[in-house]
Amino acid sequence: MTRDDCRILSARFGRSDGHRLAVYEAEGGYTALRRALKEMTPLAVREEVKTAGLRGRGGAGFPTGVKWGFVPAEAQTVYFMVNADESEPGTFKDRWIMDYDPHAMIEGSIIASYAVRAGLCFIYIRGEFGWLVDRVQTAVDEAYRAGYLGRNILGSGFDLEMIVHKGAGAYICGEETGLINSIEGRKGQPSIKPPFPAVQGFLKQPTIVNNVETIAAVPPILREGAAAYRRFGTEKSPGTKLWSVSGPVRRPGVHEIPLGLPFREFFAQDLGGMADGEELKAVIVGGSSVPILTADEILACNLDYESLAAAGTMLGSGGMIVIPRRCDMVELIQVLMHFYWDESCGQCTPCREGTGWLHRIVRRLRAGEGTIADLDLLDKVCNGMMGLTICPLSDAAVMPMRSFLTKFRNEFAALARRPEESGPRSRWARTTNEVIG
Amino acid sequence: MNDTAAASGAFALSAASLARLDAVVARYPTRESALMPALWIVQDEQGHIPPSGVVWLAARLQVPEARVWEVVTFYTMYRSEPQAKYVLQVCHNISCHIMGARGIIGHLEERLAIRLGQATADGLFQLEGVECLGSCGSGPCLQLGRHLYENLTPAKVDALLDSLRRGAPLRPDTDRSLEG
Amino acid sequence: MVRLTIDEQVIEVADGTRLFDACTQVRGEALPHFCYHPDLSIAGVCRLCQVEIEGAPKLTIACNTVVKDGMVVRTGSPRVQAAVTSILEMHLINHPVDCPICDQAGECGLQDQYMVYGLYESDVAKRDKVHKRKAEPIGPYVILDQERCVLCSRCVRFCAEITKTGELGILQRGDRAEIAVAPGRVLDNAYSLNTVDICPVGALTSRDFRFQKRVWLLRSTPSVCPGCATGCNVRVDHEGGRVWRLRPRRNDEVNGPWMCDHGRMEYKHLHAADRLTQPLVRREGVLQPVEWREAWAELERLVRPGGVALALAGPHQTIEELLLFRRLGELLGGPEAVYGGVVGTDRGEGDALLIDGDRAPNRAALGWLGLREAPADELAARLGPGRMAVVYGGDPAALSPRLASALAGGEFIYLGTRRGATAEAAAVALPLSMWAEKDGLLANRQGRLQALRAAIARPGTAREDWRVLAEWLGRLGAPPPPTTLAALRREVAAALELPPGIDLNALPATGFVARSGADAPAAGGR
Repeated sequence: MTRDDCRILSARFGRSDGHRLAVYEAEGGYTALRRALKEMTPLAVREEVKTAGLRGRGGAGFPTGVKWGFVPAEAQTVYFMVNADESEPGTFKDRWIMDYDPHAMIEGSIIASYAVRAGLCFIYIRGEFGWLVDRVQTAVDEAYRAGYLGRNILGSGFDLEMIVHKGAGAYICGEETGLINSIEGRKGQPSIKPPFPAVQGFLKQPTIVNNVETIAAVPPILREGAAAYRRFGTEKSPGTKLWSVSGPVRRPGVHEIPLGLPFREFFAQDLGGMADGEELKAVIVGGSSVPILTADEILACNLDYESLAAAGTMLGSGGMIVIPRRCDMVELIQVLMHFYWDESCGQCTPCREGTGWLHRIVRRLRAGEGTIADLDLLDKVCNGMMGLTICPLSDAAVMPMRSFLTKFRNEFAALARRPEESGPRSRWARTTNEVIG
Repeated sequence: MNDTAAASGAFALSAASLARLDAVVARYPTRESALMPALWIVQDEQGHIPPSGVVWLAARLQVPEARVWEVVTFYTMYRSEPQAKYVLQVCHNISCHIMGARGIIGHLEERLAIRLGQATADGLFQLEGVECLGSCGSGPCLQLGRHLYENLTPAKVDALLDSLRRGAPLRPDTDRSLEG
Repeated sequence: MVRLTIDEQVIEVADGTRLFDACTQVRGEALPHFCYHPDLSIAGVCRLCQVEIEGAPKLTIACNTVVKDGMVVRTGSPRVQAAVTSILEMHLINHPVDCPICDQAGECGLQDQYMVYGLYESDVAKRDKVHKRKAEPIGPYVILDQERCVLCSRCVRFCAEITKTGELGILQRGDRAEIAVAPGRVLDNAYSLNTVDICPVGALTSRDFRFQKRVWLLRSTPSVCPGCATGCNVRVDHEGGRVWRLRPRRNDEVNGPWMCDHGRMEYKHLHAADRLTQPLVRREGVLQPVEWREAWAELERLVRPGGVALALAGPHQTIEELLLFRRLGELLGGPEAVYGGVVGTDRGEGDALLIDGDRAPNRAALGWLGLREAPADELAARLGPGRMAVVYGGDPAALSPRLASALAGGEFIYLGTRRGATAEAAAVALPLSMWAEKDGLLANRQGRLQALRAAIARPGTAREDWRVLAEWLGRLGAPPPPTTLAALRREVAAALELPPGIDLNALPATGFVARSGADAPAAGGR
């Protein structure tokens, strides 16, 4: 099996015309939709996706077909939402899908809406992807004109409206209840659960939210069948994954590979190894919100959910950040801690105060004003943040912080002032020392 | 003290924007839920969302003013004050950092003679540091309006600044207009 | 019913009970919390009410959990305590150490919970502290200190869900988040001071009460607000003979946990500069302060049974007082001379929450005792040269010019609390008690009997109303008037034909509905 055989999601990547409806249709686009609407019930569609074992590609990895089944059978008004808020550091695969293959996302959304009996679908695109908002809207308009959206789609009796919703700059809107609240015209703050969105979401109605990459896999699954999809990947991680690769490798960018491929092979063959003069130090595999792996650790891993979990990290969004030896790990964690402090929605006290505190402690350390006790303090603050909040952003800050501290402790310790350098803390006392001697 | 008419008096939208606003309100399931696209319509036309606009919009969508302010201040892209002509937003998150964002920021600071977070006196440029822009494999990068400039080098930055000063911006890397 | 185990204790509670409330039942006190409030929606943001539920991998917040049969819950395990201690510390790291100048000290959720779960060595470097704006008035009654705020969002939810006025929001995000009114707006709904009650810390405090009195010096007497016919239950907070503030007292049948701002300011009248503090008798055209003995002598000289053309009461007096006054009035002028008040006075705009358009606390009782309100003209017509009047309470001369000139044309006795226009024109003015200086029963718009309680002493030589009325009846040779309030209340119970077993000296906590009010609304404040 070559890489070209795996181009399930990336068939049109890099092309200048793949976004056009005519091209998409010529290459098999919207046949899956036809099959779903004309030959299958919503339940059958759900079952097919469940059988295929498709897992959420936004970060949580939850089985998509199972999620679709959470909508109560008696629900009258259901909403479907596509999470195109892609803001996880290191992740840019959804951007490529929307840029090169927006119809894959659209067709998948229509099929998904049919499967969960939604009548209105929102595509929530982060505000910073301004040019993509235009591009996707153009594709949506094409789909309407072709009769794939609107009333009585393809004569099936199924109605669906689709709205492209532009975000305005908030990472937390990538959390599904934050996204829902954002579309309701509020701050994108996550909601407490229960109730869960599948039961009570947008405007208190059942709502399903799926990631762009997840939904773009739906037409191929429906077109070729679940068994064909399962030819790729592993038992627990079927299918292919788009890896967003950044850092000084020879070939950064979005790469589609079957799940389960050894990192060693991916790194050497697809990425071309490190660029000239660079050495591999560490990798964050799943977007910044997962524990970091050292070079030795990642080289022993396969790139699938279970293998990475066994290695103590998570596949997450598949945002692979390759870190070279020249990088100062404390400097990098300061960058990340700034990010979580910036993006915390501020609702829950542990996250709101903890993200700021972590950032300030690291910043002080780097300014040469921290002590060895600050390393224990960092750990203590993490304890006050982990598993105690409404949404996982707090945990997302803790996981890199803890893993950096554990695996690169020497770099942190090197920044700590030695006790004899500390001196009296108060400016008055220092002045006194200088005067008295 | 709570006089809507006076507080929103100075605010008005163009006929075209009003039409877009009405269309958006009609499409969204509730008036309240149309707030975000409504704010974009105001900001796209006026460059920012003035306080009088907040009052006007709150009344039109029948939401409390405090709610509109919550939304305006929560999301980084909504601006309640006038902005410089070109707002250069450079990503300083981890991947761009590894690929040299700090150097690009330093270069911009030097060329524009301002620090990050400041604006040039002539009102032409504003320099901001922002979080991940989804361009990690092509960093360092910056956002200007609806587009990104990627794979930045000092030379590319200089070319961009010159082009902006001439009023003829360099073609952004995300410009797909030639594809049709 | 649901059966569950909390801290090794098995309890049974109704279906749908919140785990938070079930835990309170078992523990005898609430779990640590800021954002939970039984009358507001669940926010779940302070994260303090974490408990361990067997079978759940993570700790769970009790406020957003409904009890389930067979649940096994632990509220005090080491894991829970460690979490609460950590989370509380997060609340404290940017909280200013304002206690010495903060009004909330002594009734502060942060202080109280710190003493139980905190007592830390601080780990926060001073330069790491986030600063926010302090001491900004945001409305006529409320002042905001953003730095003290723990962002529990109770105030925002109150304005959104109870008053539905939406003045408050939480702007920005992260640790820059701050409570604010919309720029250019004020927090001026009629219930704004309730946000001060529910604010667990000193972020929202009362401008009126600011820096007035340390709360641990206050004594609290339960009573009823006299501001309107709703009769919100209140706490009269007093010290050194002065009332310093009023706060609502929960009565789910009447006002929930709320009261209006106007009602809160009712205490100010108690200390008005024009209080009648001594009996006044007119000598050579000028009112002179006298001893009670002299006042009684003048009274007996001026007023003879049968010589009173008008005995005018008002809807602000208690039921016991109105009963005695009716008796007195009938003795002095016959039943046709006795009136309950001037029609159309003490009326205003009501709302759908707690404020009643009837601005008197006991108008219902006028009807029960057959005391009719009449137009000012009718009352004035009964007056004239040589015709005496007895005016009890209120300031009718100020309210009606017609009545004022009619009163001025003759001689009349005034019994009241303030030296207003009516007292100023009287032949004799007797100083009585205001609502917080006496015990007495009021009937609200629901027909509910509720009790005033004396909290502070009367000024000067002012006396309790009912004792003055009883003494006057005694001096007129009426059948023995009651000598104790308890005895008087037994007469009230008989007059109202209350069911036996109702002890007016020991009313149930939520009061007693003696008769359904004409348009008895459901309990307000919900």
